[in-house]
Amino acid sequence: MKRFLRRQRALADYTLAALARRRVKNISLVAIFALVVFVVASAMLFSTALRHEAEATLEGAPELIVQNLVMGRHDMIEGSVAETLAGIRGVTRAEGRLWGYFYDSVNGANYTLMVPRDPGLVPGPGEAIIGEGIPRVREMGWDSAPLFLSRHPGDLVRFDVAERISSQAALVSADLILIGEDDFRSFFDLPQGVYTDIAVSIRNPREIDTIVDKAGALLPAARFITRDEIIRTYRKLFSWREGIMVALAGAAILAFAIFAAEKASGLSAEEAREIGILKAIGWDMTDVIAMKLWEGALVSVGAFLLGTVAAYLHVFLLDAGLFAPILKGWSVIYPDFALTPMIDGVQLTALFFLTVAPYVAATLVPIWRTAAADPDEVIR
Amino acid sequence: MICLETVTKLYNEGRPGEVRALNEVSLEIARDAVTVFKGPSGSGKTTLLSIVGCMTRPTSGRVSVDGHMVSGLPEKFLTAERRSTFGFVFQRFNLIRGLTVLENVMLPAAPLAGDPRKVAEAALARLAGLGLADKADTPVEHLSGGETQRAAIARALINDAKVLIADEPTANLDTELTHRFLDIVDELRGEGRTVIMTSHDPRIWESALVNDVVEMQDGRVTGAGA
Repeated sequence: MKRFLRRQRALADYTLAALARRRVKNISLVAIFALVVFVVASAMLFSTALRHEAEATLEGAPELIVQNLVMGRHDMIEGSVAETLAGIRGVTRAEGRLWGYFYDSVNGANYTLMVPRDPGLVPGPGEAIIGEGIPRVREMGWDSAPLFLSRHPGDLVRFDVAERISSQAALVSADLILIGEDDFRSFFDLPQGVYTDIAVSIRNPREIDTIVDKAGALLPAARFITRDEIIRTYRKLFSWREGIMVALAGAAILAFAIFAAEKASGLSAEEAREIGILKAIGWDMTDVIAMKLWEGALVSVGAFLLGTVAAYLHVFLLDAGLFAPILKGWSVIYPDFALTPMIDGVQLTALFFLTVAPYVAATLVPIWRTAAADPDEVIR
Repeated sequence: MICLETVTKLYNEGRPGEVRALNEVSLEIARDAVTVFKGPSGSGKTTLLSIVGCMTRPTSGRVSVDGHMVSGLPEKFLTAERRSTFGFVFQRFNLIRGLTVLENVMLPAAPLAGDPRKVAEAALARLAGLGLADKADTPVEHLSGGETQRAAIARALINDAKVLIADEPTANLDTELTHRFLDIVDELRGEGRTVIMTSHDPRIWESALVNDVVEMQDGRVTGAGA
């Protein structure tokens, strides 16, 4: 064992010296390799974290949402519809939801105002819970600064900020303002008994289609949106955006493949000669291959780690500044959220084997060919 | 004793441009002696040196070292034989550029997994013996021609080679350095080592140090004698 370790140490020492000798070439090699890993790993880490964020957000969404349509447009719905829906077998709960949009002409931003379904989250009268994007866009300097909303010139409604929503769910809450029902109706001048839509909870998710059929017969003018449809929409949205990243990553991988193929096509005359010299002075084929394995491993694993750590810092510390415009979407209240660090081990392992293994293999093929030849032939 | 029996070496065998570098060469090389292969360019001297030093295998024929057949050995065993018996000084020395003199000298010992400190001590002792102690940490590309040759000799001897093989060792050296080289050969012979060289240089094959001169022409041995 000691002998094995000493041999490996001697080979690794030589490898380091060899890498240092071709410093410029090897630094460029590591830089290209790390850049490829960085792009692909950033896309992977970002999309994984984003999907996790979206799924976490939708976890508490109702199984079915019922909206009233007038001339094909979404309109307010009567509260009595909730009672009708609650009467369908399999429906555990149906309740009206209140939400709407407010355009802040001062900042040019759109806010989403909503009455929370969870009674525990409902702020007191005259109070609001706000998303993290709102104080940012309104430059609310201190934590307890009140929120003033103006619906028309001369109008000013004040809300005391009871709480700010953490950036954990900022993907969908950056522009959110939660207020109580009375404040909501008063703010939008909304009569009692009408709601924006109805949220329906269903005992057995497999019965959703049946319940939609029954509800459709009772409410022919209504529109029914299932949670699966929302999830599908989210997935399509993120998949489309992720697709751009995949295309970018694909280009990077293609460049890497060309680069690896170039490596596999042969050694430079200088490298081949060096192998011949090493063999002539007493190294055997396994020594040469072990040394080159060390070289390949140091370059590729080093570059992989460098690229992955850079991608991690880029995505989770710098909010994926390079890719965010593509992946997050755009608006005045741009969700400035810090993604919860999420690493998909399988994806990362796949990336490791898709980059490190081909590189090492591509390096080894020409080395094996050269190292297997007689030193005399290689040196000549 | 190194014995060659009807050794033939073909390059590019069976392909266009096939070259018969050696043609049924039979030869005995004495131990503890200095042997020189001489002949014009293309006569097969370097190929013969490579076969003697286990750097390449003959296409046909047999090679033995001290009665031990080496010509049919697989790569792994041939390398072991080369490593334990032979040390090489190439015509262009072939030191690895970018490494220091000491690192170059220690290179042949790397796969043997010896104690690195002891290997370094042995390498420094070799360099001191050849007057290069002060150059140990110098990159080899900064050495003069004579220093480079001595560094190459130190590298050839680091594994305590019994046979030193040198290909045109004085091709690029002036008279003074050639004499210095011959002094080193004398010392090596005094240590009981065998020295086998190729040379175009009459200063080498006319030297009193040389025990045997093997004359070659067109891949054949045409004459032998002291």
